[in-house]
Amino acid sequence: MNSMTQEEPKNIEPTANLASQAVDLSPPETPDAPPRQATEQSEVRHAETPTSDHLLGLNTMVEIDDLSFSYDMGKTNTLKNISLNIPEKQVTAFIGPSGCGKSTLIRCLNRMNDLVETSCITNGEIRIMGQHIHAKSVSPIELRKQVGMVFQKYNPFPKSIYDNVAYGLRIQGIKKKNLLDEAVEKSLRGAALWDEVKDRLKDSALGLSGGQQQRLCIARTIAVQPKVILMDEPCSALDPIATAKVEELIMELRRDFTIVIVTHSMQQASRISDHTAFFYLGELIEYGKTDMIFSNPNQKQTEDYISGRFG
Amino acid sequence: MAKQKSSNNPFCKKQRGTPTNEIFQYGFFSFATYCILLCALVIFGKIIWEGTPVLLRKGSDFITTKPQTLSVVEAVESEGIEIPTENFDNILGSNDDDALPFANIEEFQKAFAFKRFSLLPGSVIGEGYLKNIEQQNEGFFLIYTERNTENPVGFTVESDKSISLKTPEFEQLQSLAPDLLPDEISTREIQLNDHKVTIAKGEYAMSKTAHDALVPTQLIFQMRQGFPDDEPDKICQSVVPETQTITIDSTTYFAAFDEDENGTLPIEAEEQLPKKTTFHQFTLSKGNYSAPLPVLAILAKQGIATQHNLTRGSIVVNLDNPTELILPAADYDQLLTANPGIKVEGVADFEQKADYTRFDLTKDAEIRIDIEDLEALNRANQESGKFKISSEHTHSYSGGGILGPIVGTALLVIICMVVALFTGIAAATFLNEYARKGAFTKSIRLAMLKLAGVPSIVFGLFGLGLFVMLAPSLTSTPHTESKLSIPLAPIASTPQLRVVEDKKIHMETRELTTSEVVSAAKANNQAYFYDGWTYLSFQGWGTCMLAGGFTLAIMVLPVIITSCEESLRAVPMGFREASLALGATKWQSIRTAVLPYALPGILTASVLGITRVAGETAPIMFTAAAAERSDLPWEAVQATGFAAFVEFLQQSVQALPYHIYTVAGRIPQSEYTEPMQFGSVLIFMLIVMALAGLSIWLRIHFRNKIKW
Repeated sequence: MNSMTQEEPKNIEPTANLASQAVDLSPPETPDAPPRQATEQSEVRHAETPTSDHLLGLNTMVEIDDLSFSYDMGKTNTLKNISLNIPEKQVTAFIGPSGCGKSTLIRCLNRMNDLVETSCITNGEIRIMGQHIHAKSVSPIELRKQVGMVFQKYNPFPKSIYDNVAYGLRIQGIKKKNLLDEAVEKSLRGAALWDEVKDRLKDSALGLSGGQQQRLCIARTIAVQPKVILMDEPCSALDPIATAKVEELIMELRRDFTIVIVTHSMQQASRISDHTAFFYLGELIEYGKTDMIFSNPNQKQTEDYISGRFG
Repeated sequence: MAKQKSSNNPFCKKQRGTPTNEIFQYGFFSFATYCILLCALVIFGKIIWEGTPVLLRKGSDFITTKPQTLSVVEAVESEGIEIPTENFDNILGSNDDDALPFANIEEFQKAFAFKRFSLLPGSVIGEGYLKNIEQQNEGFFLIYTERNTENPVGFTVESDKSISLKTPEFEQLQSLAPDLLPDEISTREIQLNDHKVTIAKGEYAMSKTAHDALVPTQLIFQMRQGFPDDEPDKICQSVVPETQTITIDSTTYFAAFDEDENGTLPIEAEEQLPKKTTFHQFTLSKGNYSAPLPVLAILAKQGIATQHNLTRGSIVVNLDNPTELILPAADYDQLLTANPGIKVEGVADFEQKADYTRFDLTKDAEIRIDIEDLEALNRANQESGKFKISSEHTHSYSGGGILGPIVGTALLVIICMVVALFTGIAAATFLNEYARKGAFTKSIRLAMLKLAGVPSIVFGLFGLGLFVMLAPSLTSTPHTESKLSIPLAPIASTPQLRVVEDKKIHMETRELTTSEVVSAAKANNQAYFYDGWTYLSFQGWGTCMLAGGFTLAIMVLPVIITSCEESLRAVPMGFREASLALGATKWQSIRTAVLPYALPGILTASVLGITRVAGETAPIMFTAAAAERSDLPWEAVQATGFAAFVEFLQQSVQALPYHIYTVAGRIPQSEYTEPMQFGSVLIFMLIVMALAGLSIWLRIHFRNKIKW
């Protein structure tokens, strides 16, 4: 599949473009990642144990170790002793009813929760690429360049499409026009948006449709070439057709980025994710391969939730 | 049938009283609403009704000329009156059409003889003559550094003059300028008694005349305060520390101890010492003379007119290169005769032509005429004597236009908005983006709420105390009344002699402490001092546009901060999050993703702030506004470079609201002041309405342009 899309001419179909571009965008240290990922995936499929055996043979990108988190200086814990590992270049979905802490957890991963003054980690730690991210030596600014985020409500700046995508590079001090042009095109192609907007890059981003705006936000995120992309319910404000396009995009992005997605839609999780974690009331109830969680969950709560008996 | 049915319906039954109530309520509320409309109509209608004719008559002159005193003169019938055309047009503008009995109006060109010459470096020139050259040549301002008392000075005696001198002065004249004295000198002896007076210890009221007479005598006394220059008639308290007896001549006696005058000292005991004074009398014949400065000083007391400064001496011209100047021919001739030390080259005659108008006044008439035009009229007809005035009344501020107030208000608003926006946006950004929400932000908001409710006059007084009298400034010549002078570094540029004289700076060369220098300067009656140090002096900025702008800024700050905060809060949280998630620092995200989108709101609010600030009278009354000022702020600036900018900011200004207050309430009212009031108010209202319109336009424009 991969080799086939790469040989295709560029602009037949947005997704085809995406695939070829996405390879270019991949971090230089893992150029051989896509083929390896495919083989490992097939190995994992045989694993039957529901705990963390499903990650066997996969590189771990994010390690969450016994994490407890509080929004009110430790009076009550919003997240309680969560431990889970997120594999590299896979889509990991967080599901669970509202208020179960899945968004909180995802915002911990790039320290967006620092914006809430009274928030604090009460126990445990998060390691990304082996580095404890709440260590004093870690700059949240640099962390966020590696761990990008796409938000629930698409939020392009009221600037031109071009300026939106170039924003992240510009604040890093890149001013050369040819560099910016190149990066903008690459990112827009990567986000499967290039063919739709290439003739109106200088138009306001707010003139795009909702789905296009969300894909622009994704393009903006991948322009700074992060390792991990966090998506906080990226399709909740979109109609089914726009959702389908974004999902298609996520499937393509998986080849180059580690993606963590929070979603309310169980169908979406089962369609696009490789692994699924189910949260309830701030606790991790079950974490496993998506097929396992949806076909044969270990826990009764999980079964109840995915079969719609509560939540 | 139908009727019966309807009466059975519950909602057809009339409830007693209700309809009348409804009508009453409707009437009351609509009346209240229409009252507003009525008030607006009456106010605007009156202003427009009365103001428009003024503007129509004065035309654009009303906003391009400065306020002036209006003279209402009764002029005598005459023929062939001449006046510069420009002034003639002004006179026509000031009077009602067809009211003036002018006839035979013809325009012509009048030629004036001028001299062009180059003034050479090293010339020695009298102070008054230099000032005349500066007046005639715009842009020429000599910051001299040296005076000369040795060089002879020239003077002209218009007609034979009889001079009578006492012996010491005569002897001085004899030794210094023997050539001046004619052969024929008569001597006269007059009995003028000296007085030996005893003054008891005590405290006395003393006038300036008495003070000046007593200073050269041996009487020891001390003044409680100095005599201000602008109030020469003020009586001040003086202390005589012990009973003293002095011997004085009769002139001093009558100046200081005359019982009929105010501010003279009472005498304890008195003794007359008979004394004869010899007077030498001679006649100085008509002609031009040249003599040492002390000679002119003696003769000037006898009524010889001169423009030389007799105590300080002449000025040495310290130009780098010969400078080309012009003067009217008559002034040039006078300059040459009066200044033997002047060096000029390249003298050339030329004529300057000016448009003049000649007209006849067919009968005695009352003419309204601005003071500048009246001066021009008098000057132009001085020789022919054709323009005769039988009576004259002056009405301050009733002539001219309102250029000064408009400019002043604009400057005040600009300074205020620069300061207020800078501080306001910074504070709002801090409160909204950085500060923790807690007791601190709550107390800040409370403080702003309270500030917004402070009456404007209180801000005025506060500005007076803080900016006019206490604000620190960095200077090498601090004011002697400075609240606190902190010497910073012994590097200071020596002020030029001209600045020293103009500003009244006490130059201290001895090594003294600051307080000793201050006392020395005060004893010499100087306003500033210089001792080679740069000071941080808490002396205030004086009544100037900077102080006014800052006061207004503080007043409008709560409004600006509140609206800035609202604009910042209206920027979606998503922009900040998106920016941060892309790896922006906090400041980067505020600068690129928050402030640009808050700016339209801030701009709209600040334009509304401007309208409020422009209308304030009380805060600028004490801090910036001058009721009377004949020149525009930049016209008074003489420094160059950055110093010029600082000096410019330290000018007082006129302001529109204060000007309206002055013309409406502080000057004697007459039919002639009324047009000025309505004209000013109409212009003011138009400006404010234009600003409000701009604010609305900005809002619509940005709403269309930036949406999210």
